[in-house]
Amino acid sequence: MAAETINLIQDSELELHDMQGILIRGYGLLPEAKYLLLKFEDGNLARSYLQSLYMYITNGLAKPLEQAINIALSASGIKSLGIEENDFNTFLREFKEGMAEPHRQFVLGDEGEFSAEHWSWGNPSGEQVDALLMVFAHEHEYMEELLEREKKRMEKFGVKLIEALPTALLRDHKEHFGFRDDISQPIIKELAKSKGKGDFPAGEFFLGYKNLYDEHPLSPSVAEKEDPKGLLPVSYEDPSRRDLGKNGTYLVFRQMEQQVFRFWEYMRNQSTSEQEAILLASKMVGRWPDGSPLTLCPNNPNPEKSLENGFNYWNEDRYGLKCPIGAHIRRTNPRDHLVTETSAKDSEEMAAKHRMLRKGRPYGPPLDETLEPLDMMLKADDGKERGLHFICLVSDIRRQFEFVQNIWVNFHKFGGLNNDADPIIGNHFKEGELKTDEFSLPHYPVRKRFKNLPNFTRVRGGAYFFVPGMKAIKFLAKALE
Amino acid sequence: MSLIHRGLTFSLRIEESLIPQVNQLLEDYNADQPPNESLCGTFFISWLTVPTQVYAGKEVLPARVIFMSSYVGNKRKHVDTLVNALGDKLRKVFAFSDEYPQKTLDSRSMARFIVKKSSFNAFYSGFKFVSTGSIASESQLRSYIFKWVEKQTKTPAFSSLTPSAIKSAIEKEVEKHPSFSSLMDDPEGIVWSKWKMLAMPGLFVMLMVASLLVAMGSIWWDMGLWGFLGWVLPDFFLLMFLLLVLLRKDENLESPPIDVISDEDYLEIVSREKNKVVNEMTVIAPLKPGRFRRIFLAVSLRLVAMVRYFAYIPTVHTARWLQLDRGKRLVFIATFDNQSEAYAHDFVDSEKRSRNLAVIFSHVMGFPKTTWLIHKGSDYRKDYMKGVRSFQFKTGFWYTLNRELSVENLKNNRAFRLGLNRKMKDEDIRKWLLRL
Ligand code: HEM
Repeated sequence: MAAETINLIQDSELELHDMQGILIRGYGLLPEAKYLLLKFEDGNLARSYLQSLYMYITNGLAKPLEQAINIALSASGIKSLGIEENDFNTFLREFKEGMAEPHRQFVLGDEGEFSAEHWSWGNPSGEQVDALLMVFAHEHEYMEELLEREKKRMEKFGVKLIEALPTALLRDHKEHFGFRDDISQPIIKELAKSKGKGDFPAGEFFLGYKNLYDEHPLSPSVAEKEDPKGLLPVSYEDPSRRDLGKNGTYLVFRQMEQQVFRFWEYMRNQSTSEQEAILLASKMVGRWPDGSPLTLCPNNPNPEKSLENGFNYWNEDRYGLKCPIGAHIRRTNPRDHLVTETSAKDSEEMAAKHRMLRKGRPYGPPLDETLEPLDMMLKADDGKERGLHFICLVSDIRRQFEFVQNIWVNFHKFGGLNNDADPIIGNHFKEGELKTDEFSLPHYPVRKRFKNLPNFTRVRGGAYFFVPGMKAIKFLAKALE
Repeated sequence: MSLIHRGLTFSLRIEESLIPQVNQLLEDYNADQPPNESLCGTFFISWLTVPTQVYAGKEVLPARVIFMSSYVGNKRKHVDTLVNALGDKLRKVFAFSDEYPQKTLDSRSMARFIVKKSSFNAFYSGFKFVSTGSIASESQLRSYIFKWVEKQTKTPAFSSLTPSAIKSAIEKEVEKHPSFSSLMDDPEGIVWSKWKMLAMPGLFVMLMVASLLVAMGSIWWDMGLWGFLGWVLPDFFLLMFLLLVLLRKDENLESPPIDVISDEDYLEIVSREKNKVVNEMTVIAPLKPGRFRRIFLAVSLRLVAMVRYFAYIPTVHTARWLQLDRGKRLVFIATFDNQSEAYAHDFVDSEKRSRNLAVIFSHVMGFPKTTWLIHKGSDYRKDYMKGVRSFQFKTGFWYTLNRELSVENLKNNRAFRLGLNRKMKDEDIRKWLLRL
């Protein structure tokens, strides 16, 4: 049921009514969220499930105040819905192979502790995840009601609930290590209130629109005869086909457990004071816990700059003396400084081709309610599981998410470094000559090297999903009124 | 001693039906890698087969076994090294080709045979003038000095020394160490090698400048016989322009459709890249139809080879482009940091690089159409990625000397070494120390 709405986006060049809301917003006004992992027991019933769900799905037009529901399908989910083999083949290869396929695991650096065999879901030998139902509500009771309603629907249509992943927003938009998250996001030109340099065309993140190459991203399509009612628009790839991807996108989901006690214990053990421990952790992130960027505030946090995102590296900090080259934010978005490029312009051009729209939410109770590093350092390990449901939207899984994960996050040689994977989310290990568990802090007279970094995070589950547009949902549900 | 990096490429025709047997041999050799010591001066070897391919929709280009090595120094010496290290293996594989003589060749004749069969390649190296020996020694030097300085910083007095005092202390430490003291000097032959590499583009520029001067001078003076020099520059540009116009005609020809590789086959190729730092990819494809494409490409490759001193392709260790089968086939191989799935993006993600590479790749089947060589059509990137994928081949045998260091590591180690014994300002010493 459409919720009460405010802030309708007017005059957008995007077909917001045909997009699911998750593409357009993070539902910040709906603090309750659950990610339900579903398995379709029967293809025919699954289609009826989609039909029945359709009218409850929140589109991109309105900003809901009470509740929102969005759905994404995995490759097996799409197959279960009975799509033709030829049509299925038009989905991206990475999507079809899935996150747990051995080569994809290699590309993602998911080995050892990170390996899919240890995941609690998305593991190939475990239960097959066909769909991800994202449910948002403004308050707990309402969420319970929604879940009740959705569970009934699932029961009715032979949809098995594999797991309901909980989420819990933390104070001040922080993640569990105590750092302000969700500051830097690519701005989409078609949604921006005012035009700015460096804004991204919608096709970088949504299918059916032009991307940075001035091309339409590869989009799944179906043969014309499959769509006799003409629900879908004409495909950009091949005018004789119909575009199943338009107004949809790909969604990457990685459940990342965070070892908060281990994180602050490591920082404390490497430092002579608590302030030094906070500085070291901030160097690893690239921002102070309050969010202020080290590039602009190298010595102390500055609350006035905690949401600041207007900074670069080439002129401000080429050698990483303020924000180390290996810091999490400098790896995941090197902005205008890639060590391998010869100018700020070239770096910026390259970095822009590998961005993603982050949508995730934390889960689990905080180690300390305050999320203040000083308090967390005093805490004992409570043994509870917590972390981040990392979710991002991309129109090209390989170019955007996998590239960042492979070339920038896990590559221990990133930016001329030697043995350093991303200090926060990298897979840290030693294997013969190969070491990925160091962190280098540029310093005079010689860089400070932090050794034996344990894994501060590890992947607990994950999958690639496709978020269909509203018409595509109708098509997949064969809702041919 | 020459420190110039070069590529050796030779190939023999084989019957397509024999490919599985040859591939099996190459796989066996791959599993039994030669020791590094036996391949002195060699950085990489890619050895693979390519099936028949169809040129311009009608001419069948033969199946081939192709051997490509990257080495430093003298070609003849490198060929001798290859024959000594891989002689029997080379003979066994060559025996599948009717181009190989019936009788078994001894080492000298084998070396001559290889040289005879080798073809021109435009070669690029991302870590110029580094010899095979110095890869390890420069890496050990940097790592040793890093640990030494790290230890010194335990005494606070050390960290408060001026940059030049710290640099002197480092230099003393290097000199003291018997295995590193030779690294205090610049690598032998580096200056000579640089000059040698610059000689060709230098001569070319001088010729063009002289031509311009003579042409201008001839307005006022009679240049006599030298007058012909005044025509070199205009003739060169005229010729290039003519070629471009002829190419423009070829650009209008429709290329036959290509068989786009299946996802399963592509996965099989990329799944072979199991190294954590350096990997390799090979792309071999027939040219698009058009007589002038072949000529244009041949000229372009020679010009690329001439300016290779100045070329820069990030994260690429070595790359080469060459034409086979009377110019109707392009072979491209690259060894690079990390995985090919990501690396291939480097070529299209930068507007400048994709324009430069269009000069070569636009002539090849499966790659997107261009007009006037560099003007891209719509869907350029998508088609480019499709082209790369569809003509990527499995390399049966791949040898690499260095598995652990990225291009940036190699360049950094070299820059650190070259900084020893160099006069520097304090500000530059600080930057130099960051290389540790
Ligand atoms: C538990 C796991 C993670 C934690 C704790 C974490 C934490 C953070 C924090 C604190 C920031 C700074 C806030 C901001 O700039 O918005 C950040 C930024 C970012 N993170 Fe993560 N992150 C995690 C996982 C990931 C993953 C898996 C990726 C993608 C591979 C990623 C990509 C990014 C990007 C792109 C940025 C923005 C960088 C910028 O534009 O400057 N993060 N992250």
